[in-house]
Order: sequence, then structure tokens, then C-alpha cells
Amino acid sequence: MRNRDLMSRALVLAILTIALAVSPGCTGNSGASAEAAEGWTPARTPDGQPDLQGMWTNYTATPFEVFDESDTPGLYSGDPDGSARGTGPGFLTDTTDRTLTKGRSLVVDPPSGRVPIMAWAEERRNFKLTHIQDDWENHTPWERCITRGVPGGLFPAGYGSGYQILQGPGYVSIVYEMIHEARVIPLDGRPHIGKGIRTWNGDSRGRWEGDTLVVDITNYNDKGSIATNVATQRVRAIPQSEELHVVERFTRVDENTINYEATIEDPKVFTTPWKVAIPLHREPDYQIFEYACHEGNLGLPNTLSAGRARDKAAASGTR
Amino acid sequence: MTTPLFFATTLAVLAAGAPLAAHHSFAAEFDGSKPVTLTGTVTKMDWINPHAWLHMDVKGPDGKVVSWMVEGGAPNSLLRRGWNKNSLPPGTTVIVQGYRARDGSNRANGREVMLPDGKKLFIGSPGTGAPADGRDPTERR
Repeated sequence: MRNRDLMSRALVLAILTIALAVSPGCTGNSGASAEAAEGWTPARTPDGQPDLQGMWTNYTATPFEVFDESDTPGLYSGDPDGSARGTGPGFLTDTTDRTLTKGRSLVVDPPSGRVPIMAWAEERRNFKLTHIQDDWENHTPWERCITRGVPGGLFPAGYGSGYQILQGPGYVSIVYEMIHEARVIPLDGRPHIGKGIRTWNGDSRGRWEGDTLVVDITNYNDKGSIATNVATQRVRAIPQSEELHVVERFTRVDENTINYEATIEDPKVFTTPWKVAIPLHREPDYQIFEYACHEGNLGLPNTLSAGRARDKAAASGTR
Repeated sequence: MTTPLFFATTLAVLAAGAPLAAHHSFAAEFDGSKPVTLTGTVTKMDWINPHAWLHMDVKGPDGKVVSWMVEGGAPNSLLRRGWNKNSLPPGTTVIVQGYRARDGSNRANGREVMLPDGKKLFIGSPGTGAPADGRDPTERR
């Protein structure tokens, strides 16, 4: 449906334009106490929303999942010496001068801290990751410069993890450093788009429950992955189906912290719904660098050319 | 530049040699058993996400100058480690330690850069699966 696609694109562009035009930018609240957790309430935007605005990062030393001896971190985490065996994300690049919190796991439900992944999905992930030099389709959408996904784009990656939240009347927008993605989340109660329309990052609809922003996301395609970065360990490159349904909750609990939660259900991929909880830290001085994915990310061509060099060497009997 | 340039490749497996896991970003692209030392002059530093790239000219034993590209970490990561836009102006002589691309091209995964004053800076990304060679100050033991 070409017309429908064009209309959809025009709508997204219009929403983005309106949201950015009305946004007052980062307001911050530098006078508030960072210790006022008890009874602390967020400031309000001019249109009365709880104010989530500003620059946020999600660096953490907490591992995504609880480690299990059956895990093979060398396969999906790039951690051959096993040092990330439940001790933290595989990538810890941007930790300089940051004090990181360290808990048991970012996965808080089920209580085991383990994502209930179906066996077929793990097998598919294993096939793709063990054939990553053979086909560009075996790479995650992130490596292909498409998306880190929703909610995957908010899963800690260890670097390039700046998020700018902007609010305008009727909208919350999140600008992601990685892939320079921008989500524009409407708050006016409109229904989800028709079931025939499927997108990589789904269709987000927001509402306020008290001071918590709740975002309901449906209409995913079945091409993406719930998580793409090695810091997500076993969940990296797990496929998503069109039945994926995500509910995100953003709660600003003090001046410098938003508690972010995502409940994820996909009955074709996971045996039960599961929930991840990630603190977002305010970093007003952080600056988002332009994400020039195709210029800066040569991982895809390098990996494929490495595979062709491997094939050539095998054919000539040199290895 | 009057500074003598040389280019050397070492094929020895590093002593730290953790077993290489195939099929992730480092091992799928770069060969941990092929460390490389590049001495040459900076021609350009690309400050771009997701990876900065150091471009340099290296003169080989035959006197021929060859262009190399060295992959670095993310710009924000390098900034926090002490890098800035003035760290590597074009023409700077540097000695770069890294690992060669598996496809045999003149690309490398960068680890350590030594500046003319002897100062060493880590240019890579921790946790990628690169050999634990002691060049990453945040390396976990």
C-alpha cells in the first residue's frame, strides 16, 4: 500500500516537527535536592506533564541476566575469557569517571533473573551468530545500521548511550544517540495503528499514570531482535515476532534518576512475560555525537570480507 | 616528515592468549593472533559514532608508503579517556599497536597509540573479545 506508507511517513514527519517546535528544550531543575527521594515530586512542564526532560545515560555494572553455567558468553557476548560471567556487561567502555551501580541483574522478573527464551529462538540466534561471516542477514539490525529496537535501544550498551528526552504538549520525544533514532510518543489516547502496518520499532502510545509515563507498544514486524548489543548477553540477537508487546514505564524518582522498566511479552519467543528495570542517570553535560553509522561502522563489510578471505583460503588449502 | 618510518608485523600469539571465540564483533573481523605495530604519520582522525577511525600513512620496508585505517572506540569514550580533537593532528608521528583485519586489508583494530612525547593512550574498546594484552587500563583480571 504505497499511499498508506507515504501517509504514514508524512504523519511521523509532521508529529516530529510539531513536537520539536513546541519543545522548550532541556529545562533541568538544578536547584532541587538530589537527596529528596521521599516525597519528591518531579517539576511540571508548562502543559502540566511530569518533567522528564534532559540528557540521560544508562551506564551500569549490573549484568543483564543472572549468569548460568550453561551459558556460552563467548558466542554472544564476545567475551572468550569468561570474565563477563555475570559480573557485568561485556562492554564497559564509557566508565571513566563514572560511579556505576552493580546489582544482581537488570532482569527483575522472573525472580530467577533469567529471560524465559524458547529453545527455537536460542537455536536461531546460535545459527546466526555462528554464521555471521556468511550473510548480512545473520547480523542484528543494529549492526546493519537499522535500529537497536524498542525497548532494546534503551538496554545498556556500554558506550554511545546518551538519551535526550524532550516534551511538548501532547508528546514525549526520546532522541537516542545510537543510530540517531527519535521516538515521538503521542499522549492523546489515540488507538494503535491498524494491525496490517508492521514496523521495526512498533507503534508507541503513551499515557500518564500519576507521575509515571506508560508507553504501550504493538505492531512490530518479525525482522528485528529484542536486543542487539553484547551487553545483553544471552538475549542478544533473539528474534522478535509480530506478537511482541511491550509496556514501558518511566518514573522520575529524584532529580537525577529515572527508573525505566519494560515488560516484554512475545508468546512465540518467550514462555512467559519478563521485565527488565534500568536506571537512567541525568548527565546534563553529556553531548550526543552524530551517529554516522555507515561511515563509522565497518563491522559489517569487514566481517563479510573476512568470511570471503576464509573461504578463499579454505579453497586454496592454505588453512 | 623526517622521522624514519617503519612497518612491522608480528605473528606471535600473545602470551595472554585467551581462546578466541569466533563470531562476535572482534573475532569475526580481526585476528587476535596477528598483532601489528604501525609507525607512521596521521593523515586524518574521524570523530564519528559508533567508531572513531584513525587514518595513517605507513612506510614499508621497501620504502613504499601504504595507507592504513585503525578502528577506535566511540568518540564519547575517547573524550572521557583524555583524547580530544587536538590529540592527533595530521602529520603527527604515532606508533599504533593493534590487530590486523582477517581479510588481509590494511585495516586494524586499534589498541594503544603512542604519541611523539611518549604518552600512551588506549584507543580501543574494552570487552570486545580482543586478547587481554594489558593495553586496556580497564581490563578485568
